[in-house]
Amino acid sequence: MNPQPKVVIVPCSGIGKTYGTVSREAAYEVTGNIRPEETQLVALSLLVLGDESARAAVARNPAITIDGCKLGCATKMVQESGGTVARDFAVLDVYRRYKQFKPQGISELNQGGQQLACALAEEIAAVVDDLTSGSQGDPHA
Amino acid sequence: MPELPRKKVGIVACSGEELAEGTVTRLAALKVLEQLRPADTVTICLPLFLAGGEGDRAFARFYPTVAIDGCDQRCAARATKLYSGKPAASVVVTDLIIEHGLGKPEGLRSLNPAGLQTVEVTALHVAGLVDSFLDKHWDRRRGEFIQEMPQPEAGQPVEATCSCVSGIPIQKVEINGKTVTLVALPLIFEQFRQDGKMPANGTLGELLETVRVYNAIPAAEEETYAAALLLAYLEFCKNKEAAA
Repeated sequence: MNPQPKVVIVPCSGIGKTYGTVSREAAYEVTGNIRPEETQLVALSLLVLGDESARAAVARNPAITIDGCKLGCATKMVQESGGTVARDFAVLDVYRRYKQFKPQGISELNQGGQQLACALAEEIAAVVDDLTSGSQGDPHA
Repeated sequence: MPELPRKKVGIVACSGEELAEGTVTRLAALKVLEQLRPADTVTICLPLFLAGGEGDRAFARFYPTVAIDGCDQRCAARATKLYSGKPAASVVVTDLIIEHGLGKPEGLRSLNPAGLQTVEVTALHVAGLVDSFLDKHWDRRRGEFIQEMPQPEAGQPVEATCSCVSGIPIQKVEINGKTVTLVALPLIFEQFRQDGKMPANGTLGELLETVRVYNAIPAAEEETYAAALLLAYLEFCKNKEAAA
């Protein structure tokens, strides 16, 4: 019996902006705490280099990307690596839904940033649930 | 006054999200960019070498670049070399851990004390490399150091600089029926214009030489390049005047 496919989570790897940190924190929250069994974190740098196992992971499994800026590196790299982006999250759009959580800090997020990351993580978890339950959801919802 | 980004050192961190050592690279890079050498360093996100434009891909050719990797896969160094230019130096965190007898970093989101110590060691090591590179002359056409006296420089702004949304300005110019991408041309034009060097044959030699600092100009095509540059500079000045 084949193991249940995991949902691949690919966050932005930006180091210069707060939203990049939020994307990473949300990814850690999902893959480490909320849905550790159903998800797998894939580092963007591995996809950039064309690492075989990272490419295979995104080719085999649906991917959720989290981008910290409009350049959308995570989404673009998954697509260029032959993967299917089931849902792409842009942190700025998420922030517009949770304006009470104002993120600040890069090395270390403030409380607002942590709250925003948790809110984003919950949204991601909901998509993970859709994907793993077989309903797949609307990739462009 | 616009400033040609000359004496800065590029920092590219792998940022590997799967490893604590990746977190070390990110925090060490930030420490150098924000605290240790803010005026002398600039960074770019590694994926932009693929997901970005030509200006982003010119990064490591333009700046002598230090790649900071968390493990011996060396994603940052190898991808930088593959898509941008050979890094001037490659730093691997696991090597520094062995060299300095440090403990193993743990914790992706929150590093343990050994991880924090490794951040300090890595950042200081990179800052030392930055200092050494600032004393050397970087050949942006070949992407390597050359043995020449460094040129005197104007002061640099004191701020950490992220190149994610700026890259290196480029401009495409028609030369001999071919479209040629010239790195830094908009900055060079702006510099010349603000220095009062108007488009004329008298400034053409200097313009050609400045463009040559950042781009390869075939010796056999110098005259053609010069003519094309003059036309492009005329157009640039005309547009600036129209916009004023």
